[in-house]
Amino acid sequence: MTLEHRAFLYDDHADFLSVTVPYLRSGLERGQAVVAVVREPNLSALREVFEPKGAAIAYFDSADFYRHPVRTLRDYQTIVAQSAPRSVCALAEPVWDGWDDRQTLEWIRYESLINVVFAGSGARALCPYDTGSLPPRVLDEARRTHPLLLCDGRTGGNDSYVDPATFGAKCDRGRRPARPCDAEYLAIDGHDLHALRSFVAERALTHGLARQPAQNLVTAANEVAANALQHGIPPMGLWVWRECADLVCEIGDNGFWRPSPLTGFIPPGSALQRGFGLWTVRLLVDLMELRAGWDGTFVRLRVRR
Amino acid sequence: METPWFAKRPVSAVRPGDHAWLAYSGAAERDAVIGPFVREGLQTNEKVVYVTDLPPESLPGLTPAPRPGVRAGDPADADSQADLRAGLAAYTRTGQLRVIARRDACLDRDGGFEPAMMLDTLSREVEAAFGQGFRAVRLTTDHSWVLNGPEAAGLPRMLGCEHRVGDAVSPSTMAMAICQVDRRACPRDQLVALRDTHEVLVEVNPEFDDGILKIVRTFEPNGLRVEGELDAARHAVFAEKLAQVSTARRRVHLDFSRLGFIDLGGLGLLAQHATRLHADEALVLDHLPPDVENVIEMVGWHRLPGLTRGGDGLPETEDVL
Repeated sequence: MTLEHRAFLYDDHADFLSVTVPYLRSGLERGQAVVAVVREPNLSALREVFEPKGAAIAYFDSADFYRHPVRTLRDYQTIVAQSAPRSVCALAEPVWDGWDDRQTLEWIRYESLINVVFAGSGARALCPYDTGSLPPRVLDEARRTHPLLLCDGRTGGNDSYVDPATFGAKCDRGRRPARPCDAEYLAIDGHDLHALRSFVAERALTHGLARQPAQNLVTAANEVAANALQHGIPPMGLWVWRECADLVCEIGDNGFWRPSPLTGFIPPGSALQRGFGLWTVRLLVDLMELRAGWDGTFVRLRVRR
Repeated sequence: METPWFAKRPVSAVRPGDHAWLAYSGAAERDAVIGPFVREGLQTNEKVVYVTDLPPESLPGLTPAPRPGVRAGDPADADSQADLRAGLAAYTRTGQLRVIARRDACLDRDGGFEPAMMLDTLSREVEAAFGQGFRAVRLTTDHSWVLNGPEAAGLPRMLGCEHRVGDAVSPSTMAMAICQVDRRACPRDQLVALRDTHEVLVEVNPEFDDGILKIVRTFEPNGLRVEGELDAARHAVFAEKLAQVSTARRRVHLDFSRLGFIDLGGLGLLAQHATRLHADEALVLDHLPPDVENVIEMVGWHRLPGLTRGGDGLPETEDVL
């Protein structure tokens, strides 16, 4: 069962309703599990249409649902799994304001990843994009991340679509800012990561992270360091520095690795599957960046205060 | 939870002055505590006084056999019944092991429990030990029979006895005692009352303790208490101990109340272990600390098949009976 992943570029509120209402209705008619994850005021408008009729639609406010792209993918996957054997019909409107450039890029990548994660799910997803308010970059990228485009009342194929692996590789190609020269360093040698955990926990505390995000960062850094010890090549170490509200941890080793651009993005079925560790690391921190090059493998973890 | 006023010690850390309490859940737990208590005493030139009607070779947990001049674990420390009897006979001859029948130690003419007589017996043995050149005296007895007995006065007599034993042992620089009671021998409130007459709670020696991770066998429920930090450097030893408690077809409980950290590989290891269990069994995680639970909920319980969330309340251990 293939996924139907459509971007819907709408002009105004009336345009929005003229397409989304029939779309949700068609999901109900087909016996699909229907979810509407929409921004206000669109969400309230849809409720007004469907709730009086007692339609079985699960409503979510996008502002709550779209906070962390890897967690959002996980949540949609949970909906798909819990709805089985019914397939899902989702109206899925992401949040595009309030992010910095890097975060916006991750949300664009998220749209692209939908095509992989739900490839065989038989789900239908309609992603509304407000042409009146969204920046041109977001609208342009929507064409690259959705195989189908609904524009001016017509659904058509989309020549600009780029497959997710190629798209992900492009996202990672941009140069990352270098590590500041005053970053604190801790060598990773031996097999005991107890000292590394204390080191990270102390910096997290000093930076003012709340207890839970601090502990999550410790778990994530420990996992990446354990991977380096298991698969990497010495020398290996950990750097920690601050960038405004962000605390950044980078773990590097001298190994040569060519990870797929999808590494750690696809939710594994269970902890027994390969990739569970890095996927969980992506869940635990605000952003995990992976860079593997001639000079080694570097994993950068970022948590905002 | 109130801060307990008593110390909790593994059996090998019991020292002179300790009046210690062991409420065991079954023979396995009792043997795992009393065996080392007796054996280590015999092997380190300490006198062992055991008030019981059992013959020496039937004392709890004495395999492999302790023998004079042989430390546990030595190749010469052969494990046979004949060796056990011979070894214990040697200790008995020298007076280092005193197995005293209840009739001689603490029963009045009618066969009733007589605390004053017990006190006399213990004082006599401790005094004699000094002259015999032993550096310490280990005292132990199982009181379950008093509580199980027909006398309604069992508990008050026991309480009186325990207070006086405590008064005798605590200031001593030579004597240490473990008072044993089968948990099933009396109701919970009586157990608590008896426990409260002791300053030290004794438990099994940890299966593993490197200062970062400590693994302690638990008997009721069957499983392990995992304290400290479980990470990749300690996966192998944890997996080994987990396999050891999973042999019988019993549910395995992991008490995580004092677990400060578990790495993602450790969660994978738990799930891995659970896949090898029978369908009607599960690996139960009791008393999950918020930090650990947060990671599990982040990935979703369904990604850790075979793991079940257990009790939330305080652990069912001695200190919160």
